[in-house]
Amino acid sequence: MHSMNTLSITDIVKTVDSPAEISAAAARMRRVISEEEISPSEVIARFDSWAKNLDARELDDLPGIAFLRMWLRRGTLEPIVSRELGSESADGRWIQEGRANLRAFPVGVVGHWPAGNVEIQPILSMTCALLGGNAALVRIPSGLAELTRALMDKLVQSDTDGRLIRRIFMVSFKHERQDLQAAMAQAVDGAMIWGGKEAVLQIRALPFPHWTRLAVFGPRISVAAMDANAWTNPEEQQTWCLRLARDVWQFDQQACSSPQVLFLEKRPGSSVVPFLSCLQRAFENENRAHPRRMIPAVLTSTICGARASWLLENAEHRAVFPAGPDWTLLLGSGSDIPEPVQGKTLTVLEVDDLRDAVSKWDGNVQTLGLGMGDAEKEKELAVLAGKRGVDRVVKLGRMHVFVSPWDGVDLIRPMVRIVRHVSSTE
Amino acid sequence: MRPFEDKIDRLLSVPPYAQSPEEKQASLLEIFKEQLNYGCECHLGYKNFIEHWPGDYRNATHVADLPFLPVGILKTNPPLSFVNQDQIKRTLTSSATTSQTPSRVVLDSPTARRMTKGVVSIVRDFIGSDRRPYLVVDTPGLQAGEEMGARGAAIQGLQPFASETTHCLRLGEQGELQLELDKIKSFAQGREDTELLVYGFTFILWNHLVKPLEAAGISFHLPKVRIFHSGGWKRLQDQAVEKSVFNDRLAQVFGTSPDRIVDFYGMVETVGVIYPDCPAGNKHGPVFGDVIVRDPLTLKPVAAGGRGIVQVCSVLPTSFPGHLLLTEDMAQVLAYDGCPCGRRGISFRFAGRIPKAELRGCGNLETKRS
Repeated sequence: MHSMNTLSITDIVKTVDSPAEISAAAARMRRVISEEEISPSEVIARFDSWAKNLDARELDDLPGIAFLRMWLRRGTLEPIVSRELGSESADGRWIQEGRANLRAFPVGVVGHWPAGNVEIQPILSMTCALLGGNAALVRIPSGLAELTRALMDKLVQSDTDGRLIRRIFMVSFKHERQDLQAAMAQAVDGAMIWGGKEAVLQIRALPFPHWTRLAVFGPRISVAAMDANAWTNPEEQQTWCLRLARDVWQFDQQACSSPQVLFLEKRPGSSVVPFLSCLQRAFENENRAHPRRMIPAVLTSTICGARASWLLENAEHRAVFPAGPDWTLLLGSGSDIPEPVQGKTLTVLEVDDLRDAVSKWDGNVQTLGLGMGDAEKEKELAVLAGKRGVDRVVKLGRMHVFVSPWDGVDLIRPMVRIVRHVSSTE
Repeated sequence: MRPFEDKIDRLLSVPPYAQSPEEKQASLLEIFKEQLNYGCECHLGYKNFIEHWPGDYRNATHVADLPFLPVGILKTNPPLSFVNQDQIKRTLTSSATTSQTPSRVVLDSPTARRMTKGVVSIVRDFIGSDRRPYLVVDTPGLQAGEEMGARGAAIQGLQPFASETTHCLRLGEQGELQLELDKIKSFAQGREDTELLVYGFTFILWNHLVKPLEAAGISFHLPKVRIFHSGGWKRLQDQAVEKSVFNDRLAQVFGTSPDRIVDFYGMVETVGVIYPDCPAGNKHGPVFGDVIVRDPLTLKPVAAGGRGIVQVCSVLPTSFPGHLLLTEDMAQVLAYDGCPCGRRGISFRFAGRIPKAELRGCGNLETKRS
């Protein structure tokens, strides 16, 4: 048994160049899992300490840091573990059910293929597996290695006896390296795959063992919608706009939970102009508070293209944007979801009835962020959205709150086996 | 004739690189404002775009403050046009190596005429105005028809410098390009002391001239040849051909010096404006056009030494909105004036296409239009 933390950050986050490095790390972690168990409550205690360590000024500018600090807190995680694994599972004991005893066990080594566009996703994905007592083999997308290292460094400080970090190996390599992707796949008992269609299909096609459990979080978009009671209410407009701006700003509008379009339900005699002015001010304020530090040139190009094509294709279309690529509001009407642009580009569409828009969805919408003044209409809309494939219906301003279930599936439960023991001695 | 067309013609009649940046800024700004007015009269959608631009272009004090269109907008079909169908004399299409969807730009007679004049003005500054035997390293027929591609447009652009024209490639049975050795030998015959002109797309020169001639052990002695090439390096990237290697081996094949080879940047969307390398290895904007390199973070022009997205500006097109275009290319500004070659104004170097993003995760969004 290991009694102290002998691993450093350079042992945990590595650039690898050979399949042997990956399989050796997986084999080492598999030994760790079999030699020492760790209960959800022990993991949560370490995460809670990690959250406190992340509260350091030098990390304040890291994208998603505020969210990660909140996610790792005991108060966030305990209810999730309780809901997914049962209220008595936190300490890892057997739980009686009739004549049988049930207990959660890890599936083993869980591979993580996070998306490259959400900075903290490698860590979020990893924490889901660790809460189930698994080991985590995480591929860090190029460009996120330095940031991930900074965050993991704080875990190394928190996990003083090394019980968690012995279960973690993070690898960095170019996504074209099929031999390394295959080595990862062959080494895992579970896989959490996040990404776009092409990425997901490529990863699913890797040579996983037949028993490997896959949890796939594929490409989705998210949508905001407001009824007229909400957007015409002058006392609440500012709050709604602020909430919406925050949802757009987080993760630079690149997460699957980021709103790409806002549907506004029309009300005869009510102009959207005051609301849009309010939304513009909210975007300007959010931009002042959280300006971009950098932007890929291709995104700038895409934003310029979206502005131009929107205004050129229909002389009725309107738009508001600053001279730079900071943010964009594209204004029009209709019930179809337009091509998402990202880059803090929100299309605002007036629609006669919100149900017209929702009823066209086909499973591609993950989160519906709502600002409603009519509670009954909201209930009706939630049912309709659920039928049309939406997995989360939340209040505007909370579209990115990372709680289980996410994408309609649990976060911890898929990487846990519930073992049933019926005693032979009774 | 619209008033600004006189002003454009005047710019086409002066030396292309002699104006100070201040003079050039003032003359271009005035014409561009008139062209924006004109565009708004011609196209409702364009007017809508211009009216939503942050800041009124009529009050702009710099060309960089004027509304610009991303070049991708010219991929629409039917193409964006400021003229009626019966006024369109020709449609140019881009090579579309990156996006697979070509740009399509429509030319009326005045724009086509200025396109020729623009290229002549620029090339004359590099090689003089004499006509000379012209070897086209491509197949004949690319300049025919109502639609013309980027290769045809470039070949035609140099035609005013030709005393006679020889095409030295043909299409094989499978549609592949084949070198006609007898034609190139005949072209070179007895012309050791003659000023000559050669043009080809960069990848065509390499794959269909340099490599076959080297393989056959054939070279010429044409020290006075001028070789122009364009089309970019993308298709040679998989062969890892460096520019210096390309120049050395192309020069060896023709028996000339590498400094007789001129790489120029041009797009069908910027009709009449090409950007040849000067002897210092830099590119410049002519008096009837300019280049702005914009910081992707702010879209403001970068400082000297900075790198960003290229915007090309040209007063020549009046049949489509091609006067202020944000390209999909990157460049570095070396200086805003004072190139050792003596040409005034901005000197810059291209730095390749805008890098495409790595495979994105849940940001790799997909949706359907119904």
